[in-house]
Amino acid sequence: MRKRLILVLSLVTFSLLIASAEQFKFPLKDNSVRFAAIGDMGTGQAPQYEVAQRMVTARQTFPFDFVIMLGDNIYGGSTPKDFEKKFEVPYKPLLDVGVKFYASLGNHDNPNERFYKLFNMNEAKYYTFKKGNVRFFALDSNYMDAKQLAWLEKQLQDAGNKDWKICFFHHPLYSSGKTHGSSVELRSLIEPLFIKYGVDAVFSGHDHVYERMHPQKGVYYFTEGASGQLRNGDLAKTGMTEHGFDTDRTFMMVEVAGDELYFETMSRSGIIVDSGTIQRRPS
Amino acid sequence: MQSLLLVVFLTAGWTSTVRSQEAALPKKDPENAAGFKEFEKRVQAYASLHKSIASTLPALKPTDVPELITAHQLALARKIREARANARHGAIFTEEPEKAFRRAVREEFQGADGRRARTTIQQGEPLKEMHLHVNEPYPDGVPFTTVPPTLLLRFPKLPEQVTYRIVGHDLVLLDAEANLVVDRIPDIIP
Repeated sequence: MRKRLILVLSLVTFSLLIASAEQFKFPLKDNSVRFAAIGDMGTGQAPQYEVAQRMVTARQTFPFDFVIMLGDNIYGGSTPKDFEKKFEVPYKPLLDVGVKFYASLGNHDNPNERFYKLFNMNEAKYYTFKKGNVRFFALDSNYMDAKQLAWLEKQLQDAGNKDWKICFFHHPLYSSGKTHGSSVELRSLIEPLFIKYGVDAVFSGHDHVYERMHPQKGVYYFTEGASGQLRNGDLAKTGMTEHGFDTDRTFMMVEVAGDELYFETMSRSGIIVDSGTIQRRPS
Repeated sequence: MQSLLLVVFLTAGWTSTVRSQEAALPKKDPENAAGFKEFEKRVQAYASLHKSIASTLPALKPTDVPELITAHQLALARKIREARANARHGAIFTEEPEKAFRRAVREEFQGADGRRARTTIQQGEPLKEMHLHVNEPYPDGVPFTTVPPTLLLRFPKLPEQVTYRIVGHDLVLLDAEANLVVDRIPDIIP
């Protein structure tokens, strides 16, 4: 009886997920900014390769131009073999067609990854870049010292109010992951800057699940820490959780068109586990 | 599943909310000033040594050849180790600096942010029963424990060649580019 109930519930859930896949459509507007987000991926194991392959397939219908990496890019060592097995080989089909990767450092990353050209960090542990009407800020959340805080404030200030502001870094300010959870101390230092300078969205990893938070003080938070690793069942959804998924690996795809940001989170088997649209708040 | 349209409105109370969220930065204890000053002098001398040794190697620029990154890291570490062959624990964290750092850590962990700082370390995959020694490399593949940011704000700023790291209960001064332990204070983190 219990088994039958589980089967029925699974089928209903699966049907809903499939339905979502059919309903959600990226607008694919001219000159929109299109990217993917992956976190905690650099294991070199089969699931990472399967997610990477799914990204290649998904790119046929959603042609993203670049990928932001939310840290733990290369686990377990930083030898040339590690770079090959945990980055160059799985993402080769994307690299070959010119998709650029922008990395942030996780707690498993050798800081000298900043010299690796394919991570586009240009020797810096934290940096900023602009694509279309989006200004990105890649931070080093392992080491938030006074120098980085001052840099962040200046960059946010200089960015003005015209463009979207998206930050990405490894440790989530808000997370319902049972293993790590919210980085409250880090939050106490950088969240005031996010609010003051109008950061729109934040992408992090570290907890090996997918989670989208209800906007916190006007900022949208996503945790995507399951693009290679997975802690099955690690999500203890809280009142902050808008949507979560912790039973398979995932990656995100995002399109920013004008004042709207469209997102879709896909599992390695191609199921859309979350999707939606964010309206940019008035500046 | 439905697509969502989420709209955020700025409220009239926004500004006051922002103001109330401004981070309270930890104050630096004036008692630590002399110890920190001595530390800064010594760490600057180390940074100069690093720069002079690095200048004898081919400059490392962004490369898509990971072998070059590894080779540079190893060559730099080897040369620094040779130049500091007699360096021992306490070469940079001498007596007064060590006292100042211990006081700063005590203030952090006994103060209002103490619980958060402890949580930060626990969340950042703490390394148990691990000790590193001067002139040893940070082991490849071992994760970095997050250094509590409010603790970092109590410490002197460092030249870009070095970083503070927490290894077990020790505070380690690490040359990040050479991946080499420069000095350490044992059993400082409660």
